[in-house]
Amino acid sequence: MNWSATVRTILLCAILILLHYTLRPLLAWRASADFLIIALLLASVRVRPGVAAMFGFVLGLASDSVALGAFGAGALAMTLIGFSWSRLKAVFFADHVLLNGFFLFLGKWAYEILMNLVEHRLHGAELLMQILVWSSLSAAVTAVAGVIALMLLRPVLETRAA
Amino acid sequence: MARTGRISSRTDVVLFSVCVLLSLIAMTLSQRLREPVASALRRTLVAPLLKLQEGSERWRAAYLSSEREELKRDTLALAAARVPTLENENDRLRKLLGLGSALKWGFIPAEALQGRGRAEDFTVTLSAGSNAGVRERSLVVAPEGIVGLVQTVDPTLSLAILFAHPDFRVSAMSADGSAFGIVQPHVTSSGSSRDQAFLRSERYLLEMRGVPFRATLKPGAVVYSSGLGGIYPKGIPIGVVMGEIKTTEAWARTYILRPAVNPAELSAVMILTPQRAAAGLTNVWAGVGAVDSATRSIVLAGDSLARQAAAAEAAARRAALDSAARLLRDSLGRDTTGAGAVTSPTPVTRPAPTPDSAAAARARVRRDSIARERARADSIARQIPGAPAATPATPRPGVPGGPR
Repeated sequence: MNWSATVRTILLCAILILLHYTLRPLLAWRASADFLIIALLLASVRVRPGVAAMFGFVLGLASDSVALGAFGAGALAMTLIGFSWSRLKAVFFADHVLLNGFFLFLGKWAYEILMNLVEHRLHGAELLMQILVWSSLSAAVTAVAGVIALMLLRPVLETRAA
Repeated sequence: MARTGRISSRTDVVLFSVCVLLSLIAMTLSQRLREPVASALRRTLVAPLLKLQEGSERWRAAYLSSEREELKRDTLALAAARVPTLENENDRLRKLLGLGSALKWGFIPAEALQGRGRAEDFTVTLSAGSNAGVRERSLVVAPEGIVGLVQTVDPTLSLAILFAHPDFRVSAMSADGSAFGIVQPHVTSSGSSRDQAFLRSERYLLEMRGVPFRATLKPGAVVYSSGLGGIYPKGIPIGVVMGEIKTTEAWARTYILRPAVNPAELSAVMILTPQRAAAGLTNVWAGVGAVDSATRSIVLAGDSLARQAAAAEAAARRAALDSAARLLRDSLGRDTTGAGAVTSPTPVTRPAPTPDSAAAARARVRRDSIARERARADSIARQIPGAPAATPATPRPGVPGGPR
């Protein structure tokens, strides 16, 4: 990845992180889009798996610092997602918008499931309801937001060749 | 090349493992150790992002607050728009209450559910039926006067014809009993479309036929039921004379009446039982007016009492302030005199006293003023629930400035 692509990726991630802390509280939906996950997934396809894991770790730790319920859980989940996504890009070269949306959905859903399981806040039917309904809904919203962001920022993006 | 790739891959795995290990360590940290790490993150890396989030949430709170304010304003506007309707309804219900207390017994209150179709212009559905004691040919009245007659009775509903129905007839008389006639709906026989339109515009008017030539009715005269027909008892207002009309009948006069009841405003009525109708309704409608005006006067009296209490309170407060100011002026005057100053701060015009007598007079004035003030305070305390302080205050013995 050349310098120009690196700068653009950093810029894109910064925009998405800013959106996470500005647009999300403004909308305050019950199942809201997770721009941190979008930023992680979009960055992961452009960097090496180790860097993606580190980026996920930092993002997760930052989000964990304001949610002390399960400190470290977000970091673990994002590390796993970043590393897996960066590894998987060699198998599924996701340049298609809908495929990206699908992977965004999977990524966010996996993150939510991991968080719910690690946090131990919900149990039984409540946990099942959270995972099947609210988490999947949040994943879908994230996927839609990610697809919109991808379409808007397509001229700026440059996917690294596998 | 392959070697480089293997090294990179190994580095990636090592980095990943380190991150996972750190995450697991963070998860297993005790609360005591976890808090400093999280706090350091919040103060450094996350701080600007949290500021942004705070700003966004403030924006959202402001937006929600403005939305709530708007809703509140809308609610207030809606409530204000409903006030005239509620006042009208209150007025109608008060009148109905007056009618109920004047009738005393033998009546069934009902809601008049008016039809919206053109075919139902002359009928009204009442929300009381045979279960409530309504019978066929029961009389329907309103606080203003006659409404109609029940024709069909169901267990929970009944149908009544209005006075505008073509079959409606009632024997009528003037208030002084000098003129008698038959009141019926005002229907013209003209067939032209223009006349039909005119007819529709005055379809609720009544006409009083068969009034002898020797009896004349002036516009504005109230016409009552005479009780001669056997169905409608005597003394129910039917309408007000608007004027005489020319007809082909040469032996009697015909008058146009404006009905006492406006069908468009009909909402609550009373259905009279046959026994009540047979017992007579003389002076009932005079009583209705009296009860209504009594209710109004009670309401107005309540208002004026509240106004009077507010005025009394204001007067008492003003009096207390005045006397406090006077007291202050007096004591200032005394102090300056004691210090050797000759000039008085108050522009009181009195005969110039000698220095000794002036000091004595000031002391006396001050004592009197204190006594007046206490007496006024007592008087106010006694009189605040009622009228403003008007009686002269009497100093109490045993207090400074009391009777010596």
